Amino acid sequence: MPRIDWQTALKGLAGFIVAVVIWVGVSPLYDRAVAAGAELLMRTFESPKVTHLTATGTDVKVDRSDFDPRSPRPGLPVIDLTFNWVLLAALFAINPRPFSDRNMLRFAIASLLMYVTHILALATEVMSIYVLRLGAWSRVHYGAFARNFWGTANHSYRFVLMFAIAFGLWWALRPTTLTRPPATLSRSRGRGSEEPSRSTRKASRRRARS
Amino acid sequence: MKRDQKIFLIKFFVALIAMYLLVAWNPVNDHVIVPATKAIAVAAGALLHAIGQNVIVNGTTIASSRFAVNINNGCNGIEAMLILLAAIGAFPASWRARLIGLGIGALIVQFINEIRIISLYLIGAYKPSLFQIFHTAVWQVVVILAAIVFFLQWSARVAPNRLANGS
Repeated sequence: MPRIDWQTALKGLAGFIVAVVIWVGVSPLYDRAVAAGAELLMRTFESPKVTHLTATGTDVKVDRSDFDPRSPRPGLPVIDLTFNWVLLAALFAINPRPFSDRNMLRFAIASLLMYVTHILALATEVMSIYVLRLGAWSRVHYGAFARNFWGTANHSYRFVLMFAIAFGLWWALRPTTLTRPPATLSRSRGRGSEEPSRSTRKASRRRARS
Repeated sequence: MKRDQKIFLIKFFVALIAMYLLVAWNPVNDHVIVPATKAIAVAAGALLHAIGQNVIVNGTTIASSRFAVNINNGCNGIEAMLILLAAIGAFPASWRARLIGLGIGALIVQFINEIRIISLYLIGAYKPSLFQIFHTAVWQVVVILAAIVFFLQWSARVAPNRLANGS
């Protein structure tokens, strides 16, 4: 397990600040990608296909082609669902050699997997609007089980799962190096450890001379 | 990923979901979480008074003529404490070490959370344009990060060779 010294803490802080700046800058574009993915996912399971999700730059407007055209469309601030990427970036920044190819590649893979979870989170959020927040329309179209299921899924993601996903992805994908417990190192000293023993060095020199 | 690390992750998520369901259960929410949140609001209100802010605490709301914050789930540090609890519970360690870790970790999380509430009130009152970004991205991540960093320190102390994978 990593011990957090001052150098590691500073790396984490720098990674956190850079990630916040990137996240704020990229969010309007990223929201569109998440909305497109969530719309595709929802329409895959819909019959007829009615859901339209449109990113406006500040939120995602939820529209259905079977809604009354005069009724207002709900909007969702997607940044509330996606800021766990900042936590992911800060965690990868505390890894040893954060700019190594291996760490960057694994961070990219973790970010890609997180994008998939963001699509699922937005689809869950839209479903929770459908089942809970549209008054009589919700009550007519969805039962108690659907209300509990989508409501709990949405709340659990916002409350703890979004952070747990960032931690879990980092834990699973952080670069690993082979380390041996101290007992193994001390036993192997002089008999095959990476540091050759004095007798081994002498023998090598003799072989080189002959 | 080694087998014991996979087991840790599975235990972590199972424990987290179980604790989430417990905390989201209405009787627990009404009799434990809401009173705890009120206590957090009272402490933050007292600290704001101490630095010269004329605030009134009403339940989980801290208000003044300038600004008001309502402390809900997600702003009371419970989410960070659940993650810490799940991580410490899933990690192979003695019960004594776990209890000590949980006690100290909860204190650290709540200390940082009080700073979060006070700073969010001050940002809302004096620099409201920054409130949204600090409320959403900065402080939530900082509190969770503090819980994770504490867990990493604790786990390195209680089992330096277990689950060691070179980080």
